[in-house]
Amino acid sequence: MTTVHADIDALKGLHEAMVRFRYAQREVTERGGDEIELTRASLAAKASHWQARLEQDRAELEACRASGGEEAAPDCSAYARAVEQTGERLELIRRWQQRVEVEADEFRGTAGAFGDLLDSGLPRAETQLLALITSLEAARRVQASGS
Amino acid sequence: MPARPDRDGDEQLRLLGAAWEEAARHWQDEVARQFEADHWTPLVEQSRGYLEALRSLLDTFEAAERDTEF
Repeated sequence: MTTVHADIDALKGLHEAMVRFRYAQREVTERGGDEIELTRASLAAKASHWQARLEQDRAELEACRASGGEEAAPDCSAYARAVEQTGERLELIRRWQQRVEVEADEFRGTAGAFGDLLDSGLPRAETQLLALITSLEAARRVQASGS
Repeated sequence: MPARPDRDGDEQLRLLGAAWEEAARHWQDEVARQFEADHWTPLVEQSRGYLEALRSLLDTFEAAERDTEF
């Protein structure tokens, strides 16, 4: 049997720190998941807003073009610029949506493995440490009663 | 404004590391070495990996929000 040389209070401190760490990091993982959903929702709302704006801009451009008489075409360049700018904004949002999805998918693998560690690996370590503390305390009691 | 979760996670890992350092000062036998190899080192490495991935993801999210504020 291996002889254990350890300070019981220090091991208890480590055990308590591991338990606190597990709960705190579980909350961190939940907040990380919340951030993914918040960002997806925010970008979706922006995409929806600018999609509606693009449709409105296009309708205004068409109305401008239709307003011209036979003599001279109306100047609809401001409407055309608005359509172009809104389209660019919408495209940028969609590119960010794609990037967020890709990176969130990659992250889920790492987060899943870490969640498994918090759910099973860390409790196993805590159990082992607690058993060690219990055996040390029992040994100290035997020593104390024999002295 | 609440701290980013990756920063809270870093702080929790720092606190756990301090508890380990304190325990390791008084616990230097074969059981300690085995515990370190089986549990402590994988725990720290995986925690750092997760927190680094979370930091990168949240940086991307912040950039996405900034870049799409018109």
